Amino acid sequence: MTAAGQTATGVALRISDVGMRFGGLWALSEVSFDVEHGSVVGLIGPNGSGKTTLMNVVSGVYKPTTGSVTYDGRRIADVPTHAVCHLGIARTFQVVKPFASLTVRENVAVGAMYGRYGGKRSTRASFERAQELLEIVGLARVAERAASDLTIPDRKRLEVAKALALDPDVLLLDEVMAGLNATEVEEALELLRDVNRRGVTLIVVEHLMKAIVSISTTIIVLAEGRKIAQGAPADVLASPQVIEAYLGSRWVKRQEQLRIIEADREVAARVQPPEAGA
Amino acid sequence: MTTTAVLRRIGLGGITGSPIAIAVALALMVVLLAVPFGHNGYLEIVFRNILMYAAMAYGWNLIGGYTGYVSFGQVAFFGAGAYCSAVLSAHGIDNLFADVALACVVNALFAIVVGLPVLRLKGHYFAIATLGIALALSDIVANLDALGASSGLAVHHVDEAHFYVYYYAMWLVALATILGTYFIARSKLGFAFVAIRENEEAAAVLGIDATRYKITAWAISAMMAGAAGAVFAPANGFLDPSIAFSVDSNVFPIVMAILGGAGTVAGPFIGALILAGANELLQRYFIKIHTLFFGAMIVIVVLILPRGLVWLFGLKGGARTWLKSLTAYKA
Amino acid sequence: MHLFAQDLVNGILAGGILAVVALGFSLVWGIMNIINLAHGAFLMLGAYLTYQLFASFHVDPFLSLPISFVVLFALGYLIQTYLINWVARAPILTIFLLTFGLSLLMVNIALIVWTGDQRGVTTAYSGANFTIADVTVPWTKLFTLLAALAITGIMQLWLTRSKTGRAIRATSMDIGAAQLSGVRVAHIYAIVYGLGAGLAGVAGTLISLSYAVNPGMGDPFLIKAFVVCVLGGLGSVEGALIGGLVYGIVEAFATQLDFTIGTQHISGSGLQDAIALVVLLIVLIVRPTGIMGKATA
Repeated sequence: MTAAGQTATGVALRISDVGMRFGGLWALSEVSFDVEHGSVVGLIGPNGSGKTTLMNVVSGVYKPTTGSVTYDGRRIADVPTHAVCHLGIARTFQVVKPFASLTVRENVAVGAMYGRYGGKRSTRASFERAQELLEIVGLARVAERAASDLTIPDRKRLEVAKALALDPDVLLLDEVMAGLNATEVEEALELLRDVNRRGVTLIVVEHLMKAIVSISTTIIVLAEGRKIAQGAPADVLASPQVIEAYLGSRWVKRQEQLRIIEADREVAARVQPPEAGA
Repeated sequence: MTTTAVLRRIGLGGITGSPIAIAVALALMVVLLAVPFGHNGYLEIVFRNILMYAAMAYGWNLIGGYTGYVSFGQVAFFGAGAYCSAVLSAHGIDNLFADVALACVVNALFAIVVGLPVLRLKGHYFAIATLGIALALSDIVANLDALGASSGLAVHHVDEAHFYVYYYAMWLVALATILGTYFIARSKLGFAFVAIRENEEAAAVLGIDATRYKITAWAISAMMAGAAGAVFAPANGFLDPSIAFSVDSNVFPIVMAILGGAGTVAGPFIGALILAGANELLQRYFIKIHTLFFGAMIVIVVLILPRGLVWLFGLKGGARTWLKSLTAYKA
Repeated sequence: MHLFAQDLVNGILAGGILAVVALGFSLVWGIMNIINLAHGAFLMLGAYLTYQLFASFHVDPFLSLPISFVVLFALGYLIQTYLINWVARAPILTIFLLTFGLSLLMVNIALIVWTGDQRGVTTAYSGANFTIADVTVPWTKLFTLLAALAITGIMQLWLTRSKTGRAIRATSMDIGAAQLSGVRVAHIYAIVYGLGAGLAGVAGTLISLSYAVNPGMGDPFLIKAFVVCVLGGLGSVEGALIGGLVYGIVEAFATQLDFTIGTQHISGSGLQDAIALVVLLIVLIVRPTGIMGKATA
């Protein structure tokens, strides 16, 4: 890797030729892309396309069958799960995993104690950091409640707060907006933008297309375990391959027919200008 | 009131448990300082045993209650500690500080060596493996001539007039386990233990090296049980495998910790006091059927306060909450 | 060579009983995730029941097998329904403690009823044995083994063929799905716990033929049941059988060890439990789901 690649604006994560096999099934194959420092990468794809598997590979929970994920040049597969966050990579889980008998604040404080800068924090400082984060994600009002008592949207917020408590450079967010209403989604997006502005690179898996488009700098589309598109949101969404993957080939064919009809009408209109234009 | 709320009231109250209960436990410890002044040898032994069981219950509490790894083999550490004193005594060293120090070092090493493979097991499998360790160790010692094999060996002890030394030594060991638990629970270490108990995978994601902290918890718990054993051996004056690795010493501390409240600071002490006290009284007045009452007591307490007696101290809403909690665990 | 054959036969004969002891324990553990510390006490009650029927009414121990099963099944069913069910959703520790308390209760009731004296069931055929190729086989132990094999066979058929057996297996695989398809889980649990107790009772009857009967007799068998379950894997009938036989054989051979290191004489008869437990630890660490086991949670 060149010296230029190591600057803060260079490549943070390099996913090269990653394949992941479960029994006879390849959940991922030949997936490669780079994630730039400071960017927001949206990861989309139909159900079962391998998004969560990819998140698990990137965060070191799974060791990829082929290929590798490197972070600032280090192979993540070589790092034990508990040390991944010390590299500066944190993630949330689609199925949230709070420590049920601890309070919300204690849950976040555990992250602050053992995360990347945890070694430098006292217990007290960890609780102070946890309180700050709870205010940022909007959970300060339930800080003393048992984590098992939280509503689903609040549990998602708690997941984000726990991940942020690890002081990450790269944050992987697995469907943190699922189940939120329109206002809550807006709030969540604002929070993520704010986190990104502080220099945290985001990889976002989400089903809500509007949310993903509004926040991402790059979008990567997975289908059946393969990367089928990558680029700026508008370009990617216009790609017929992506539309086909999402909405099926019949829909694409129909769109094609509609487009032909449209074009025919246009031609017809040109031949016979409307009366108003005369 | 929802079910989860009822459960929380009966069983969730922070990482140390009710502060009132801790204050009560410490106050009772101070009261126990007075026991030898009664010049009643029987009572002194009864309370010394309560303190001994309490120390062992704290040892179990750290690995079973806080870290969620239910060990059935803590008696192995108690016995190892007791034999440390016996070996020192056989070499002419009769010093309680040396006994406790050696027991702690030996047990910490023992726990680390055994813990590396065994702490990879989870749930009931871990429980059985630890039981296996305790039983195997007992069998092995019973066959080692150097340790007196099954016929045992005498451990030198001070003369009758200075017998209280053992009482206060045991009191100090018990106090150390209570305070140790309190400070560990409130420290980063305590949060790592509880995080592992609640969800080991999620703990790892938050940067907790589960293997390291599980072994830490186990080594400390081994030292607590070992220290109690190291004081017990010379106090008892004699040691053989059936005494050092007795079923009572294995089961009582677990029952005490759970009955008092597993994963709390005051629970094991309160459990030890009530259980050993009740056992002693029952034995005195109903010699033939005292274990029957003992069994009945356990069954009743489990059914009416499944998370431990210590939660009575922090109970908001009193009897009404408790009544509501009764059906909360029903299938 | 003949010693080897004798050890092997002794091991198999002992292993058959252990299989029945472990079977009920394994079902309760595998299906309900309960470590049933009262299992040894159920076994002891089965043995006393057999003893009492034999002493008072001269009922042959083999004939009292079904009686032990029915009585202990009923006891287990009631305990599950009226006691354990109250704390069914409590942490596993709570139920563990409850079964410990129940065990103490039963052992002490036995102590009051039958006192701590050793009792024996001595039938007309008790001391009889036969010899094949220098290997001595006591008739009672052979019949006990055959009965044990028959019982595991019946259990296996019942669990796979009967409607209730299938409901039990469905419940152990996926509680939620079983509930959705109309299985009453509380009822199934009561049946499984009853079965566990009933099988312990049957094992107690078989054991009473070869071992002394006393209130504390269940404890060593409880520990062996643990080991057998780990060897064979949880909740499976064939696992309990194979685990029981393996344990019996390992223990029989361990007894024969005899050597000296320096001045330390090591004799297997004193160390047989330790050797079996070391085997257990190795199996646990190398293959935590048992020799026969499939991956379970």
